[in-house]
Amino acid sequence: MTEEALVARAVEGDVDAYATLAERYYGSCARIARRMLRNDADAEDVVQDTFLRAFRAIGRFERGREFRVWLFTILVNQCRTAATSRKRRQQRFSDDETALDRATDERPTGIVDETSAVAAAVDRLDPLLREAFLLKYVEGLEYAEMATVTGAGISALKMRVKRACDALRPMLEAIYHD
Amino acid sequence: MTDGDFERLYERAGAALRAPAPDEDAARDRLVKRIHAESLRSTTRRGNAFLPWWAALAAAAIAFAAGLGTGRATTSSRSSTAAPVASGAAADAAQRPIEFVFVAPAARNVSLVGDFNGWDASATPMRRTDGRTTWSVAVQLPAGRHVYAFVVDGDAWVADPQAPLAPEQWYGQRNSVVVVAASGDRRS
Repeated sequence: MTEEALVARAVEGDVDAYATLAERYYGSCARIARRMLRNDADAEDVVQDTFLRAFRAIGRFERGREFRVWLFTILVNQCRTAATSRKRRQQRFSDDETALDRATDERPTGIVDETSAVAAAVDRLDPLLREAFLLKYVEGLEYAEMATVTGAGISALKMRVKRACDALRPMLEAIYHD
Repeated sequence: MTDGDFERLYERAGAALRAPAPDEDAARDRLVKRIHAESLRSTTRRGNAFLPWWAALAAAAIAFAAGLGTGRATTSSRSSTAAPVASGAAADAAQRPIEFVFVAPAARNVSLVGDFNGWDASATPMRRTDGRTTWSVAVQLPAGRHVYAFVVDGDAWVADPQAPLAPEQWYGQRNSVVVVAASGDRRS
């Protein structure tokens, strides 16, 4: 069944159609959340919550919109909310951002596979740059779609992607050419 | 290396990150079970006269118009260091109808998004009022701090120009804050 047909059936209340869409997009949402939150357990909570919120709202989904973009919009904001509340929790225990950053920087030690090495490099990006890089190069969104998902303007997103690439370049060269 | 070489480097990195996590199938199964459980719960709620969203919204608007709640989210200038405090007259109510107002005469549609509706731009559409230049909506909010923004024409996220910005600028820069008081106090 085509995605358009699945979405139409889900909008009309077909739970199985929505579950099929959820299965189809689980992987994309999970990898965005894992990289944005840098914690697999938090990421799964956010992804599950995203799909349940979308399920409750699917009856109001506007025909003609792209389901993936609509879903990513909810996901990105759920990640932002989770990251913000987690940061607040962390601040109760440590206000030392340098220590937190250093802990992240130590993660590449012992990495043996390409995916983990690239993930560790991407994790070191500023969150907004990381978000832009993931949407562009991992999920393959167009800039107009990224603008809908993030609420940022296209020129700002192009700048974020460029800055992300500039920051990643030496790390990726080290991974792929050393 | 040329620009093309660098582009291939970034695309290769993106492809590497598309590898599925080892536990992804189990997590996907958990999600599908939760969706079916949620579906059953929704059916039960409907069977028990659970209000649809538009009826709940209408009830909130009616309660607001009747004077049960007088909160307005946009009561404070951005230069204020404190978030606006909106309050209802019924101090013991768990949730209060809070009105959000946004001036956007050229907009085709405006909706309210926030941590209270999952940042879902389709969840809380606003309605034109005041000679078609102003958009407003009343929503039920519990006491506490809420972060929100307006979505104009479906894709432009705009902070409330009359409310302070949320301090969490490291990720998510353009949201506003409203504080719903537990008592009848109101600060602006």
